[in-house]
Amino acid sequence: MRHETRRNVRQNHLALAQKILSVALERGLVPGDHLPEQIFSEACGVSRTPIRSAFKILEEKDILQWRQEEGYFLALGSTDEIGAVIRALEDAENSVAHRILSDRAERRITDVQSVSALTRRYKVPRTSVLNALKILSKDGIVRQLPGRAWAFQPLVDSPAALEDSFDFRLIMEPQAITAPEFALDSKRAGLVREHMNAALGAGDGRLTPTIFRRIDIEFHILIAECSGNRFLRGTLAAHHRLRKASQKSAAIPDFRLKQAMLEHLEILDSLERNQFQLAADQITVHLRRSRIRKPRAANRGIPPLAKGPNRGART
Amino acid sequence: MMRAPEIAFFPEASFGAALNCVGIAQELQRQGANPVFICHAGFTGVFAEYGFKEYHLPEHPGSSAEAIADYWQEFINTHLPHFDLSPLEQLPTYVGPTWRAIVETAIAAEGDLAGLLAQIRPDAIVLDNVIMFPAIANAGCPWVRIVSCAETEISGVGVPPYLSGLAPGDDTGAFNTAYAAATRDVHRHYNAFRKRHGLTALPPGTFLESSPDLNLLLAPQAVRYERAEPLNAACFVFLEGCVRRESDYELPRFAVDGGPLVYVGFGSLGAVDTALIKRMLLVFQTIPARFLVNVGGLIEAYDVVPDNVHLASWFPQPSVIEQASLVIHHGGNNSFCEALYHGVPSLVMPYCWDGHDNAQRAQDVGVGRRINRAGWTDASLRVAIMDLLEDAPMRRHLADVARDMQSYPGTSRAAREILQLLD
Repeated sequence: MRHETRRNVRQNHLALAQKILSVALERGLVPGDHLPEQIFSEACGVSRTPIRSAFKILEEKDILQWRQEEGYFLALGSTDEIGAVIRALEDAENSVAHRILSDRAERRITDVQSVSALTRRYKVPRTSVLNALKILSKDGIVRQLPGRAWAFQPLVDSPAALEDSFDFRLIMEPQAITAPEFALDSKRAGLVREHMNAALGAGDGRLTPTIFRRIDIEFHILIAECSGNRFLRGTLAAHHRLRKASQKSAAIPDFRLKQAMLEHLEILDSLERNQFQLAADQITVHLRRSRIRKPRAANRGIPPLAKGPNRGART
Repeated sequence: MMRAPEIAFFPEASFGAALNCVGIAQELQRQGANPVFICHAGFTGVFAEYGFKEYHLPEHPGSSAEAIADYWQEFINTHLPHFDLSPLEQLPTYVGPTWRAIVETAIAAEGDLAGLLAQIRPDAIVLDNVIMFPAIANAGCPWVRIVSCAETEISGVGVPPYLSGLAPGDDTGAFNTAYAAATRDVHRHYNAFRKRHGLTALPPGTFLESSPDLNLLLAPQAVRYERAEPLNAACFVFLEGCVRRESDYELPRFAVDGGPLVYVGFGSLGAVDTALIKRMLLVFQTIPARFLVNVGGLIEAYDVVPDNVHLASWFPQPSVIEQASLVIHHGGNNSFCEALYHGVPSLVMPYCWDGHDNAQRAQDVGVGRRINRAGWTDASLRVAIMDLLEDAPMRRHLADVARDMQSYPGTSRAAREILQLLD
């Protein structure tokens, strides 16, 4: 049990280390730049103690450099280098649950699995697989079937699933805002705003689809969790967790990434002014723009097969 | 204050044309012009995502999403077997019916297109298509033709016939005769349409004239044909491809480590052949490389994906190819030029239209290899991939090609030429 707790703490610090690097990337930090504990504590919304532990992990991996009486400094610089480190950290964090989820999201394993098959695939003890499945079942990603098999629930991992996700969100997200007693968590909102501004201000090419996706989910979970309706709150937050679990960073042109981020900021402005109906309308526009998807098939002389965009534009 | 020149792009409803135009429009915008897009229903939002204003041709009754889906199902059922045929055999089965569809699309779009052009009042129109729309010729401003399928679109001595997949010097008699027969009726129909709108008739087999102002050919030096009579340099400009800027591509995590990266994309039409792609995945599984495979909208058709394969519905292709060691594609000019621009060899598996010409050319000039859709075996595909991955002389040649192309980016040359038209 104690071992399990220590492992969890380490996992949290690894996750925080990833977040610190994402923030450094968003803010366009270059090698030699100082990382003040206080600033990162505010940016990540945690106290300075865990920040220090996460800095320590990054130092062990030669990503940060410790200077006596000065603090921590960035040792790596390019987006590619930092991106690679973030991925490596994810691998370090790579619990069996994470690997199972990742393989399912990539369709490398089918939607019904036995513990034995997973044990063989990952070459880990049976108990590790069972623990992993328990973790995933808490988020509603798998469920145990009668007998020994486990079934994955649908992920947001195909154009059709994405369409359904947008349909669902178009109904629920404006409602989450207009339901009575929406209460914006202003501290979290301030943090999300800061992340968005930093990402927008970081310069061309710095706002990558992965960074966008992280901030996007953070923003939409904030809206869900501030809703006054307990059921909307739970259902929407669970859906955003599923989106996060699906692990797909869509290839979106830079222009749209920035435009979508600005739309988030406008929605936050309206929420902070208690203009809930306006914010609900803005989130509808935002979701409609975001759902526009490329035609499924297009060729000369033949009408494009384009269920998403047309439906989005007309409804 | 002078207003920025307004350039109206009208690409055909295919991604190749659409994305070429995005590349040129991005550059025009940088050079101070205001590019806008006229687009077919169904391409809604594709250009807006890059920050360009869109004007939409309206959908016509009977073109609901469901009707189009049915049409596509019918199209696939009818034409999938035709893609295994030779270019000559495709003339009556695929090329003739496709020209018929293209002509009918042009006739249906004419009134709406004229209306949109009257609304936009552009300073110039850029047409990336294979057919002329009278509304463009009659718009009262210069128009630019983008030749984006293959150089063979502009005929000449030394250039094989368009869509033939033949090499220079091959006997063209049988192909030319069959092409004339396959297009005779639809061409007559098209000329009658032109006449109704005040345009002169075009010679048999030709559906689009050269622009009197400017024609941009997306044919890099490395793959150009030797023409007995050079084209008039005053209005024909060759471009070193037309590669657009895309957001960076972050590689996904594979369940295996290392190995060269191979990008596989057959265009949105090619993606409908899921059976063929599934067969290929089984071969990829045996190769020590990582494969990124564009499966269009049909990702749900795939159950078990090998550990060294990542599937997605859309890739920012230029950013992906930049990181790849090999591109397997259908011979679309865009994919071909992007591979050349980044010095990456092509394994071309054409299924129709200009893909045949580009596949032949890739093999002829030593920048890739052709493999037929029909008749490949697991072993022959594997050998073709491994050979290209290990072909050091080809890679050195391609490095030179890439350096040349990147020194003269087609997008900025195109933008400059278009703006000069307005001086």
